Amino acid sequence: MQATVKPIPVTVLTGYLGAGKTTLLNRILSEDHGHRFAVIVNEFGELGIDNDLVVNADEEVFEMNNGCICCTVRGDLIRIVGSLLKRRGQFDAIIVETTGVANPAPVAQSFLVDEMLRERTTLDAIVTVVDAKHLPLRLEDSAEAEGQLAFADVIVLNKTDLVSEDELTALEARIRTINALAPIHRAQRGNVALSDILDKSAFSLEKTLEKHGDFLDAAAHEHTEHVTSISLSVDAPLIRSKFEAWIGAILAEQGGNLLRTKGILNFQGEDKRFAFQAVHMIADGDHIGPWPEGSAKQSRLVFIGRDLNRPQLRRGFESCTVRA
Amino acid sequence: MAKHPGLTPPRGSWHGILGAYVVGLAAGGKAERFAFALGDGTVHLATFTDPEAPDRTKVEAHHGGALCIAALTNSDGFVSGGDDGKLVRISPKGEMALLHDARNKWVETVATSSGLIAASVGKTVLLFDEKGQQKAEWGYPSTVSGLTFDPKGKRLIASHYNGATVRFVAAKTDSPRLLEWKGSHLGVAVSPDGGVVVTSMQENALHGWRLVDGQHMRMSGYPSKSRSLSFTRTGKWLATSGAEPIVLWPFTGGGPMGKEPTELDAGNPGAFCTAVASNPAADLVASGFADGAVSVADIDTKRAIRLRASDKDPISALAWSPTGRTLAYGTEGGAVGGFSF
Repeated sequence: MQATVKPIPVTVLTGYLGAGKTTLLNRILSEDHGHRFAVIVNEFGELGIDNDLVVNADEEVFEMNNGCICCTVRGDLIRIVGSLLKRRGQFDAIIVETTGVANPAPVAQSFLVDEMLRERTTLDAIVTVVDAKHLPLRLEDSAEAEGQLAFADVIVLNKTDLVSEDELTALEARIRTINALAPIHRAQRGNVALSDILDKSAFSLEKTLEKHGDFLDAAAHEHTEHVTSISLSVDAPLIRSKFEAWIGAILAEQGGNLLRTKGILNFQGEDKRFAFQAVHMIADGDHIGPWPEGSAKQSRLVFIGRDLNRPQLRRGFESCTVRA
Repeated sequence: MAKHPGLTPPRGSWHGILGAYVVGLAAGGKAERFAFALGDGTVHLATFTDPEAPDRTKVEAHHGGALCIAALTNSDGFVSGGDDGKLVRISPKGEMALLHDARNKWVETVATSSGLIAASVGKTVLLFDEKGQQKAEWGYPSTVSGLTFDPKGKRLIASHYNGATVRFVAAKTDSPRLLEWKGSHLGVAVSPDGGVVVTSMQENALHGWRLVDGQHMRMSGYPSKSRSLSFTRTGKWLATSGAEPIVLWPFTGGGPMGKEPTELDAGNPGAFCTAVASNPAADLVASGFADGAVSVADIDTKRAIRLRASDKDPISALAWSPTGRTLAYGTEGGAVGGFSF
């Protein structure tokens, strides 16, 4: 019933202290890309750009009273984005910069849980900037660094000039064990192509699943205390009610360990592809258009999290098909 | 003054287009005067001496967007806050005076009573008199989302994360009282007798406290956030938005605990109520809806009169003049208007 307005895309910029977030943000704001951004930052003054629409946020995280212990949201974001949306016409995209130690889950969950944000914005991508030189150390001493990689839709591997090619290759392999889906872009002083980090929503999920769907499952390594990715696929169509019951139970039981779940699904009796995604226990999904001509209509599902039981998840996923 | 006519069709109305999201609406003074605060930073004054052709003044109050507005209480005029960090006093002629500049921070909420102005900037609340003299500054545990004075202007109530805080504005030793309830509280209202504080919450529910004994009140069941709260003049009912009908919680006979709310249908099927305003002189409640409809209803008879037809432009603000003789509205799309009774 609300007036239909095109949802505003939101890019979340995350990364450990010193990884190069601010440099990248300054580049985004100074380059000509046809967007007028509103920017929500955690610290004023670092930005070299004079922009009317820079807002200081306080990262106020709180738990929702919805019986879900891992459902935390950023109250300040909900409030600030809500107010920004009333300045309609003054900007056409939003960037949210998080603090270095921030867990991206509350940011992502804010856009899934809050009615107004869900209706009027669309989470375009979580972009995680990591420092090639210091990433190995960060992964040892901080759970946040691992979480930020796990949540990423796009990873910018920055400061590549400070390490050797061999080190970079090893680093990329290490990142792949945590997040097998997100494309990794090498950069120096944040010189990544803006087309690699902006306007990704339209088909990023589909593209990344196509491109990286056959990655080697890192869960085979059994580092269960660390974040890993596993990918599942089935050829037979899924029965929607069965899938919903199964994934609902999985998210309810294991949502604390499941950081992100993404899938492109083929439901029996539905022509269009269904894009599914969840952040911890909070799920969201929508039809995203027909299957490409001549494609196999294979359903793919990717879990990124801790303590993933691949055989159990695979059996569960397979039990949702018409052949089960 | 003549007795309020009760539920009658308006004797005149005016409609205009201001072109930006109507963020806030306030009424004040002896004249039938309103101030519309807009998402483009302007504040528009309209005085309904002639119901069909109000006197209007446009004020370039904020560079950016306006966030809040309230009417002054000892003198004529208004005070607005914006995302340019400015707290601005506006005279009935549209002259501006800067009361405070928070620079990079937003002035998100403002409340007035008994010659006082309270405004929130993040976790801080500043208290001024109407001349602009700062009287106090208080810190809160988290960002203040809503501010209101009790009806006598003695206490200031602020909503924030995990509850609300009540404090006496003129106390020699500050002893704030924290009303605790986990979660995000988005706005606050106080009953006309000053005995009950109610907040709207992130979780499509309201939470209330009876101040005399700290008794909690939970009011839930809304299909969307209930952001607009308005006690009726006697305090018998709390009118609320967030559902298809106007939801009225009873505050007499021990309520609302253990009682069902009264539902008053004044809109169209499928359109949630987005704004409510109780008439200060009669038992009438005005309501605005997500489809742009505006109605006024008699609470006792449940009879409603439609004032504005649906046009798909959600009503974002609604207010009565202090006499209860004029009702003004604003929409998300920037339409405004007034009805004179």
